Amino acid sequence: MELNRRDFLIVGVAGAVGLPAFPRVAAAASVTPASASEGRVIDVAKLADVRPGAALSFTYPDPESPALLVALGGPAQGGVGPGESVVAFSQLCTHKGCPVNYLSERKMFVCPCHWSSFDPAKGGQMIIGQASGPLPQIRLRVRDGIVQATGVDGLIYGRHTNIL
Amino acid sequence: MTSIPLPPPDCEKFDTVCQFCIVGCGYRVFKWPVGKDGGPAPERNAFGADFRHAQPANGDWISPLMHTVVTGRDGRRHNVAIVADRNCSVNGGLASVRGGGLAQTLYAPDRPTRDRLTKPLLARGDGFAEIGWDEAVDLGARVVKAVIDRWGPDAVGMKFFDHGGGGGGFENNWAVGRFFFSGVGTRTVSIHNRPAYNSEVHAAGDAGVGALTNAYLDARLADTIVLVGANSYETQTNYFLNHMVPNLTGESLDLKRSAFVGEPVAAGRMIVVDPRRTMTVAAAEAAAGKEKVLHLQIEPGADIPLLNAIARIVLSRRWHDVAFLRERTEWQTFEAYQRSSLGVDRPVDDVVREAAEIAGVDAERIVQAAEWIAAPKDGGHRRRALLHYEKGLIWGLKNYENIAAIVDLALLTGNVGKPGTGVSRLGGHQEAYVRPPAPGGRPALNVDEAVRRGETKVYWVGGCNPVLTTLRAEALEAALKERGAPVRAALAATVGQPVGARVTAIVEALKAGGQFLIVQDIYPTATARHAHLVLPAAQWGEMNLTSINGERRLRLYPRFMDPPGEAIPDWQILARFAKRLNALYLEDRNPLMANRFLDFDWRTDEDVFIHARYNFRGHRNDPAERYAGITYDFLRKLGNEGIQTPVRIVNGVPVGTVRMHEDGHFHTPSGKARFIPAPRPWPGYAAQVARQRANHRFWVNNGRVNHVWQTLYHHERIPFYRDRYPMPTIEIHPADAAELGIASGDLVSVFNDVGEVKAMAQIADTVKRGHTFMLFGQPRGAVGDLVSDHVDPATTIPYYKGAWADIKRIGPQPEIARAVTFLPQNVAQ
Repeated sequence: MELNRRDFLIVGVAGAVGLPAFPRVAAAASVTPASASEGRVIDVAKLADVRPGAALSFTYPDPESPALLVALGGPAQGGVGPGESVVAFSQLCTHKGCPVNYLSERKMFVCPCHWSSFDPAKGGQMIIGQASGPLPQIRLRVRDGIVQATGVDGLIYGRHTNIL
Repeated sequence: MTSIPLPPPDCEKFDTVCQFCIVGCGYRVFKWPVGKDGGPAPERNAFGADFRHAQPANGDWISPLMHTVVTGRDGRRHNVAIVADRNCSVNGGLASVRGGGLAQTLYAPDRPTRDRLTKPLLARGDGFAEIGWDEAVDLGARVVKAVIDRWGPDAVGMKFFDHGGGGGGFENNWAVGRFFFSGVGTRTVSIHNRPAYNSEVHAAGDAGVGALTNAYLDARLADTIVLVGANSYETQTNYFLNHMVPNLTGESLDLKRSAFVGEPVAAGRMIVVDPRRTMTVAAAEAAAGKEKVLHLQIEPGADIPLLNAIARIVLSRRWHDVAFLRERTEWQTFEAYQRSSLGVDRPVDDVVREAAEIAGVDAERIVQAAEWIAAPKDGGHRRRALLHYEKGLIWGLKNYENIAAIVDLALLTGNVGKPGTGVSRLGGHQEAYVRPPAPGGRPALNVDEAVRRGETKVYWVGGCNPVLTTLRAEALEAALKERGAPVRAALAATVGQPVGARVTAIVEALKAGGQFLIVQDIYPTATARHAHLVLPAAQWGEMNLTSINGERRLRLYPRFMDPPGEAIPDWQILARFAKRLNALYLEDRNPLMANRFLDFDWRTDEDVFIHARYNFRGHRNDPAERYAGITYDFLRKLGNEGIQTPVRIVNGVPVGTVRMHEDGHFHTPSGKARFIPAPRPWPGYAAQVARQRANHRFWVNNGRVNHVWQTLYHHERIPFYRDRYPMPTIEIHPADAAELGIASGDLVSVFNDVGEVKAMAQIADTVKRGHTFMLFGQPRGAVGDLVSDHVDPATTIPYYKGAWADIKRIGPQPEIARAVTFLPQNVAQ
């Protein structure tokens, strides 16, 4: 088999979404689509009651799975409501399963156990910390002024599958 | 639907150690055939946990990152899950962000690691052709022999790993040393991350003090932990989280009370010397309370006057350890140290004021640091300080005197060889240094320069990627390209010809200034692009290897899967070349040279381990890596606890060493430690560096970050890591960014008299005004393109942290700004 030298240059190709890592050329990032789990639909809150700054606790997809709904005041990946700013996440840190806190002034989640932190505007991407995955994002939709949870992107801490 | 298969109770299970950082956390590997999954009921999975319910915090969990599916050479597919070992005292069940993704680094033909090197490659046209091992070894060995015969052994240059963990280990290091040092006999040798073959802690060695003196336990026992030029939350993660933090919170108080009966104990304090307000500072404050953390946010290059001013205060207040100095140190060196390093002929206040000015910190805070390190506790008990340092000091202004300053401070205060004390580098990678003596002198030869000057005819690069990591990186790459071209042409002109003719053509190209580049690695790296011969190596998990961590804990990292294709362990590659060279020299009736390549008849990984055990005599005078009496079977029984080196035989049983120098002995002829006096209070900047400082506005501090390991060779392939750092970041102070019109996520150009590199801006208050911090070694932007060719003349260690450059905005990157978080990375509460 002959390998073209140009092919060889392209290290780190991970399929269709891969970044050709030309060592000295800057290019745009790619985003890996998260896998989703289809779940039950539940009502979380009235959209009118969701205020920027506050975090609203609920459970999803079952009572053993705490989650937080936050309004960021600006657009967020997967956001619903005014300016696509309302998002929800599993509250369990994907490091060791401690419940994360929402710091409203900084608009970030921080885990008090080992200080892993997550960005709710970027799909729960870990800002810094020791977790081995983003914070799972709860998929939301708005029906008749009600924010509903419809599924989870990512695996919730402590489970081998989201729906037990 | 997102789900992860569970390992069945009868799956294959292995104890192993992380392949990445120095801490060497214990992990458990579970392997089972695809389709033979366990179940959620406790009796149906290997954890014995009830997955019909959510696991509690700190429970058993396999995140998607901890799982993969591998394909063996027989085509059979297996699930592999790798999770942190809760029974390992190093990490106590904690994974770091890097260790949590170990499974994803494994080769799988249908996953992002699919582009592993699987067959030897020979340059052909503009690309490469796959060839067999016999052909690759024959051609390569003939070229090496021709070069030795015509130009002498020093014309064979090499740059190889010398470390532990993935891509290293006692086995591979011994083979590298045997091949190049006692086989080829070249002095043109260099270590993975620097242009020469040298210790990074020469001064500690000269003082007779080990590089890794303490046990991790000592971080739980210390009164004060000092971190100089280290960001342990991010780069020695579970040493910080599992040992330092419990001291700062007071969780280890009971342990202190039982260890130090009759001595006052309290929750620990921490001093961090770092130009940045890192996550380590924030996390320490969250654990200890702000009043128990002292952050000295120094200006670059200020370590020597700062550490010596602390020592001077200690001496003036008579807080030094008189008994230790009398019994354990060579007094003549102490006198010289007082005069030249501590300036005892000048008033203490002048010395401290001068240090404060150079360092840019308040004099009172320097005094406070001295108090926290050495002021006696109630009842006159000596304070126990654990002094740690890493690349901020090692790759700082002047390597030799930087290390001398902290080792001298430890000697002055008696903080070595006792529980709760120590003076140790924190480490980047793990260690496993066993080699025959290196033939080079001191200061070590700068191999980058030898390559650029055309003195090397073969350059053999193993398990490292200098195009991304060296200083003046672009100049090195240009030399590889330019000097490689005639060899590539010679190969192109002789396709299909017998090997003899091909070697003759290559030698003609070498005569004309060419260089034959051999790259031995696991991936097609940026350096391998310029190679003529590419040799596929096995990685972690594909061979048995052994290494030590930052407290010298020796463990076995077993093979649990096949290497891809025809890849083989590094030691086997070198053994094949040695055997071929032996045969070629015998054919040539040159028994003298043939004999240099004897004794490579190892059959197993353990054969090499045992061969090294019998023949390694210690690195300089430091016995830290000796392991008398140890076998793989012995290590297997010890699991992830292993045994701390050096190991000696007592009554026929191998006995380890918890901490070095506890017997009061140091690695000098007298057995006493030596102070290393600094020739002058502050060495100042070398000419190249001074020029950069004068002409460019920003200091480009640089180093590793939490998420990614070294050149990202695995992590640029794994979406979780790659999407977080798709290109290098550069942290810029908000006020500086505002002046330059730069927003987070913008593409910026960073440029100076050496070169230019592009990065994505992160506006951050971690850095002071005029300072920046850039991720090093990222495949899309090597900070080495900005680093001048200055090295410490005493040690040939570069001042990698000493680059100054200008910055300009190129433009926005909407896709980056959308996908990558730019929230602050130093928030802990």
